Amino acid sequence: MKVTINDVSMDFAPGTSVIDAVFAAGYDVPYFCSQEYMSPIGACRMCLARVGAPRKDREGNWILDEETGEPKIFYFPNMMATCTTQVMEGMVVDTLSDDVKRVQNGMVEFTLINHPLDCPVCDKGGACELQDRAYEYGTGESRFVFDKRHQEKHHPLSEVITLDRERCIHCKRCVRYFEEVPGDGVLDFIERGGHTYIGTLEDGLPSNFTGNITDICPVGALLDTTSRFRGRNWEYDHTRSTGMDDAGGSAIVIDARTGRIERIKGALNPEVNKTWIDDGTRFGHEYVDADDRLRSPLVRKDGELVPATWEEAAQVVRDRLGGLSGKDIGIALRADATLEEGVAAKALAEALGTGQLDHAPRPAASVVPQQAPATLTDLATADAIFVVGDVTEEVPIADLRIKDALKGVTPPEMMAHGVPIADLRLKEHPVFHRERLSVAAPYRVDLMKHAGRTASYPAGGEAALFAALQAIAEAQDAKAEDAEAAAVQLDDGQRAALGMSLADAEALVRGLREADNAVVVIGGFVLATRAAAAAAATFAKAVGAKQLILGPMANSYGLELLHVGPSHDRYAYPGMLEGARALILSNLDPAQDPDVRATLEQKDFLVVHDLFLTETAKIADVVLPARSVYERDGTTVNLEGRFLPLQAAPVDAGESEDFVGVVGALGDALGQRLEGRSVRSARRVLRKRFELDPAELGPSGELYRPKGRPAPRVSIRSDEAVGGNVLVTPSMLRVEYLERNPHLLALSGGSRLRVNPADAAQHGLGDGEAVSLRVGGVVRRARVRLDAGVPAGLMLLPTLPEQPVGLAHADLATLTRDERELEVAG
Amino acid sequence: MSVLDIAKGMGVTLGHLFKRPVTVQYPEQRATVQPRFRGRHHLLRHPDTGLEKCIGCSLCAAACPAYAIYVEADENDPENPTSAGERYAKIYEINMLRCIFCGFCEEACPTGAIVLGHEFELADFRYQDFVYAKPDMLVGTKGSKWQRREAEKKGKDVRLGFEAGPRPELEGVDY
Repeated sequence: MKVTINDVSMDFAPGTSVIDAVFAAGYDVPYFCSQEYMSPIGACRMCLARVGAPRKDREGNWILDEETGEPKIFYFPNMMATCTTQVMEGMVVDTLSDDVKRVQNGMVEFTLINHPLDCPVCDKGGACELQDRAYEYGTGESRFVFDKRHQEKHHPLSEVITLDRERCIHCKRCVRYFEEVPGDGVLDFIERGGHTYIGTLEDGLPSNFTGNITDICPVGALLDTTSRFRGRNWEYDHTRSTGMDDAGGSAIVIDARTGRIERIKGALNPEVNKTWIDDGTRFGHEYVDADDRLRSPLVRKDGELVPATWEEAAQVVRDRLGGLSGKDIGIALRADATLEEGVAAKALAEALGTGQLDHAPRPAASVVPQQAPATLTDLATADAIFVVGDVTEEVPIADLRIKDALKGVTPPEMMAHGVPIADLRLKEHPVFHRERLSVAAPYRVDLMKHAGRTASYPAGGEAALFAALQAIAEAQDAKAEDAEAAAVQLDDGQRAALGMSLADAEALVRGLREADNAVVVIGGFVLATRAAAAAAATFAKAVGAKQLILGPMANSYGLELLHVGPSHDRYAYPGMLEGARALILSNLDPAQDPDVRATLEQKDFLVVHDLFLTETAKIADVVLPARSVYERDGTTVNLEGRFLPLQAAPVDAGESEDFVGVVGALGDALGQRLEGRSVRSARRVLRKRFELDPAELGPSGELYRPKGRPAPRVSIRSDEAVGGNVLVTPSMLRVEYLERNPHLLALSGGSRLRVNPADAAQHGLGDGEAVSLRVGGVVRRARVRLDAGVPAGLMLLPTLPEQPVGLAHADLATLTRDERELEVAG
Repeated sequence: MSVLDIAKGMGVTLGHLFKRPVTVQYPEQRATVQPRFRGRHHLLRHPDTGLEKCIGCSLCAAACPAYAIYVEADENDPENPTSAGERYAKIYEINMLRCIFCGFCEEACPTGAIVLGHEFELADFRYQDFVYAKPDMLVGTKGSKWQRREAEKKGKDVRLGFEAGPRPELEGVDY
């Protein structure tokens, strides 16, 4: 459709909003309420412009201007909000005339009537849309001299979000965000007219994606409490990087000031997270600036760990490893190491001549789909989705993309100015097509609120669940070929494994099969056993669905692609802890298990590379200070196989190094030029290996699909027996750092042991009680939370890197009230 | 150059021999600075409540062409506020070696909390002593860090080597 904006004529697709036409033509209108991925509603009335269009008469001919003979332009009687107006054939838009300027001036003045001009003390100052628009489009003075509205100045909406009700300009972005994006609807306008304020009826904001409202608030009404008064916007160093708290690979901006990370914001990656990030990613950064962070290497001398230089530490490592056969040395990385660190670890293992190399946590089954891999965009455009697991906690961004699919609006086409500002296909109060989503999990998970079908199968029964679904699929096949074939027959065991009615299960399978774009989302519970993962893959293939596998940590996919794994299953991480005589552990803390601790104490030599003096570091011979995920340069691969860049934020971390630096220092001490001695040299290896340049990745990253057959993967457990009374669940918040994240700790109440109320009564546990419990050997401290969504006889505990997702045995005799906690409370 | 020119030049020299000298025997003798002289910064308080005017907004640091100012803000304790409003400067530091005394901070300040005073005797021995913190600049503090150190050592009052004209911003305020 041909549209003339001031003096520029351009063609636009039908359905484009006028505001996007204006921006595409290179002009500008001010706006507050529109947001790229939310419905345009014209609430702020700021994007007014003069709009006109030709009309047709009853015969369908254009009404012509008598003087010029051209189609006559009929202007709308008033200025139009361009964000809610669609383009029309021959439309004329004027954003530059004096009339438009006058109206825009008026709107700025009107918006500022009740806005307190406390910009100097406002955390948004300098990055405030209202400030900028008032400067660009305002008159500079107001004719309204009466008192401004007075409301609450710092209302804590939750532990991490502060609301200043005076600053609110009622653009409704936050309200729409909760309704449309996570679908939680926890905020709303209360009262009317000038008294309107944002509020919530419930206590706090019960959602996992609350922090995004601080990014989209055009003024300083909603602010991130973790960075409250920490710095001004122009003082921050903005580093664009990738969130490493989960396998989603959300784009983030790290705002640091004077060597401290003050806040994390979401960044735009239309393919992955759009602009949204979850609260764990946003607020879980405070541990980086904890006081007890290791700042220099420590070497054990006369039984004491004493500070040393990197050269000294590397010499000690060389001398002590020199006496050992290469085969006796084990190297393990945490699975959020970058690809470059993986290359470095492989080079070191090769130089030492050991096959004992692994990353942890590494699930029993592969996280790289062997056929029909789905991307997050596939997920967002799917018309049938089957989720097995707790996707909200595992990869929160996948949860939001599933909700995109439920809204049924495909991602918008990019325009000249980027993502369309007002996508008119999005509607306020959207309908979530619940019937497209089926969720199965052993307990009640958050996403079930939005699912058309839910199944609560018995924990550890993933293989049986998929086998039963497979049986249904096969029976349906037989039925399709031969109408006389028997109806689906399942025995009692199979029915129990389904966790839903047979009719539901049949509808689910049929839905997946009939859908044009079906996706099966395979969570960590399935990956815990190879049998379940194989059954899931077979089922997905049978119904013609794509697979999205949720890896346990940020770079699980990449490290598996790179084969940072052992040469034999005896040499996998758990075996290595037993068998190796010397260990180099990066960011892993296995000594939380007293039995493992006793084993580690017997080792000839133990090197720990970590952020803090963990239980394992305390018994190590050499402790090397590590860089956090925000301080590393490198590349990560998210769950869909997308290579994403990591950039180091300027954080004061003493002499800490990432594993690349460790290998560089050890290589120097060994007198070898190892391949992964620097990020550059590691990238040379990656370039050859993957045929893409990690240094040249665009902001959206690059999707990589492995060619040919994958190399055989060495499994982590030879013993596949599954059972236990505690289900280790995925966690959006990183439990290992929770105690050093004061705001998140206050928000979440700490690590939670979720117990069925009936069980709790039996064990004599009360809600909120602090307990400690040995789960699978690891001593876990947690707070009891009574939850009727937990099946009887099972307790839920969030995962640690050392405690992978899945069933685990807990010795209930070790369940005690936490003395330390009580001391603190007293 | 002729003899006449030399005589002319000597004439000027001779003429000045009989004029009153403009030299001030500083530091024995006190110097006089002009009212709008820009010297060491003062951080002001509200005259009625005694609360600090500075709200820690960092605009002075943003305006500073020499990057001499460092501000770290924090939230006021509502029971015992440091400044009016929610925010106050927890750390306020000016590096006097970097400062070029341009007065932009004064211009940028939305609350009129910072003014350039008349003190200019800021010489000191160590780099870190040139970083002036809040207690060194809050109104009522007299003298540079070195002068105050010296006065404390000798048990005397701080003696400033200059006389200032009236300074309206600092006048009429009883702290």
